[in-house]
Amino acid sequence: MKKMIVLFLVLAVMVTVPVIESAFAAGDEPGQYLDRRVIIWNLFFKMMTIAFVVGAVVSGTIIWQCWRFRESNPKAKPTPYEGTDW
Amino acid sequence: MVLELQKPRPIWQIMFSTHHTDVGLLYLITSLAFLFMGGALALAIRAELFLPGSQIISDSMTFNRIFTVHGTTLIFLFIIPFASSVGNYFVPIMVRYKDMAYPKLNAIAFWMIPPAGALIWLGFADFTWYATPPYSIISAPGPAADMWIFGLKILGISSVLGAINFIVTILKCKHPDMSIGQVPLLAWSFLSSSLIILVAIPTFAAALLMLLTDRLGVSGFFNPALGGDPIAYAHLFWFTFHPEVYVLVIPAIGMMYEIIPRFSRKPIHSYQSGIFAFVLLSIVGFSSWAHHMYATGMSFTEKTVFMVGTLAAVPASALHVFNFVATMWNGRIKFATPMMWAVGGIALFFSAGAGGVANAAMPLDFQTHDSYWVVGHFHLFVMGTIAFGSIGFLYYMFPYVTGRMYNEKMGKLHFVMSFIGTVMVFFTQHVLGLYGMPRRIFDYPPIPEWIAMNQIASVGAMIIGVSMVIFLANMIYSSGKGKLANTEDPFGVGGKYYYPFEVKNPSH
Amino acid sequence: MSGHSSWPEWIYVGVVIALMVWVGAEAWEAERLVDHVPADAEVIKVTGQQWFWSFEHEDGTKEIGELHVKAGKAYKFEIESKDVNHSFNIHDYVVLMDAVPGRVNTVWFAPTEVGQHDIQCREYCGLIHYNMRGTLYVEDPSS
Repeated sequence: MKKMIVLFLVLAVMVTVPVIESAFAAGDEPGQYLDRRVIIWNLFFKMMTIAFVVGAVVSGTIIWQCWRFRESNPKAKPTPYEGTDW
Repeated sequence: MVLELQKPRPIWQIMFSTHHTDVGLLYLITSLAFLFMGGALALAIRAELFLPGSQIISDSMTFNRIFTVHGTTLIFLFIIPFASSVGNYFVPIMVRYKDMAYPKLNAIAFWMIPPAGALIWLGFADFTWYATPPYSIISAPGPAADMWIFGLKILGISSVLGAINFIVTILKCKHPDMSIGQVPLLAWSFLSSSLIILVAIPTFAAALLMLLTDRLGVSGFFNPALGGDPIAYAHLFWFTFHPEVYVLVIPAIGMMYEIIPRFSRKPIHSYQSGIFAFVLLSIVGFSSWAHHMYATGMSFTEKTVFMVGTLAAVPASALHVFNFVATMWNGRIKFATPMMWAVGGIALFFSAGAGGVANAAMPLDFQTHDSYWVVGHFHLFVMGTIAFGSIGFLYYMFPYVTGRMYNEKMGKLHFVMSFIGTVMVFFTQHVLGLYGMPRRIFDYPPIPEWIAMNQIASVGAMIIGVSMVIFLANMIYSSGKGKLANTEDPFGVGGKYYYPFEVKNPSH
Repeated sequence: MSGHSSWPEWIYVGVVIALMVWVGAEAWEAERLVDHVPADAEVIKVTGQQWFWSFEHEDGTKEIGELHVKAGKAYKFEIESKDVNHSFNIHDYVVLMDAVPGRVNTVWFAPTEVGQHDIQCREYCGLIHYNMRGTLYVEDPSS
């Protein structure tokens, strides 16, 4: 477990340092004529694509397991904890 | 504690009791009363917005008062007292102590709520639940505004007293045989949310006093005409109320942690990561308050800092979802009413969280800020997650409180209708926000898309309204005439319950 | 009371963190782009008060409730308020910034096509907040 934590810390630092560097390197140069509608809506749709994919996976999992592990499912079998005082 | 209706006592014996189950019962009844009152206001708002123009509310001032009191009521007089009720019933049992640590303080904390509720409802202020200055200082009509300020002040003190009581009960009064790492997750949720309250509330308490003196004209903290700054209020307010979001949601998650393993007939997948996520959330929750203020003219750097702070809270919430899914995995799940509410709450918790991530992304704020998107988003949290968890838990503790079973069919109907209604109202409101409809408006121009989506939302709200009537009927009928519950195992799922009915109430 | 965490949980948390880093980076980049005002943007002073918007162009022309701009030019709004908080919003162009008394907030945009758009107030400001509306006219630059 300790190795895992160290590994994740190293990875986290490797990801954050370049981001912070580029964040501070961003100059104050005047922008071009940008269409803010395009930039903002693009960002929105990108995020919604990911959100809906992740949402489909998460709710798909929940719906599937509600169907599979319900007690009335023919394949349902008692859990190892039933009849004990867990 | 239970069986109030089987062994009736004079009502004053409950009212003047300091026993934790009696105080819990008082909290429960009060919070449910305010749930129905606040819900009625919500229906009035939805009926008004069904079509452009004035429908059932004659002027915008009345409308503004209604949405202000609706928000204040459901947050401060339903969600928080309901959580306190659950905490009062279960925390002492879970830490194996005879009562709360300070029983009299407990009763005092409860008895602050009715006068505060009276102040808020008799005043009927109009400046939104955020009490936005300088409007609240120079424009809001008194005495409504001042009554609201005093009401919130009292509620703040009540929360702090309750929080102290929970913390001391859990940390100091737990059974000596029990280490803190064995305290059930529901009690852990009360420990973390109480700690957040202690850190967060004083800021808002100070801001309220400053708001009051500003209104009296003796100071100008938030009044630009006297050199003050309304943005300072925004910081003070959100420093309390962003963490407060976690105060509301953490006990509801804790209630799900009680329901889901029970009905899956399996212990929780990872007790440690549940604790870890609670503690992490209550720390990280303090790093995100100014994401409510992107549009107030913050600098790029400030926005970036608070965006990172907000996104940092996501993994902790996601851990809970993982924990729930993993607990249900390989279980044998009984879909009784409490379980349906808990699972529905998890599904909506994800949607609310995803919307929250989109809100945190700085440029999207230009689209969504103060639009109906925001209304849809936070209602998915407070209704879809917190109220769902709470109502599920109410069904779960119903047999312990009354000694009788609720009507299962009506409970399930209540869930199905509420779920459909919630999806119809709040998902539609997200889209409505993207079409640009501002929140807190009494009337809107006849834009066809706005009308259509408002009507879908209003119909959804009516469905929730009808389901709540079924709920009320179920609660009233079943507590008197429901069939007797098997208090050893009311849901027939086996395992070791926390048996609240074993509590010795001296009045019984 | 069983339960330590498991390896799927670590992977899951890793995926969530990676997603959040991606969201943060994308949002940061987009914000950086829309944040930078072009040097030749024309300043329009926007004043919010209960319950209407007034505008003052660089050449001194004043307008109330209506705003006329030319397509293909960049404009920088300097937004302030005379009484309580308002929020200046042209939803079709995703322009939104609060008008806070005692402060000047800025936001810019460059309209592209000729047309009419709604201007509204997005921050609660009292009695007629719901009708604190105006119209943006984007005109042909040659006219």
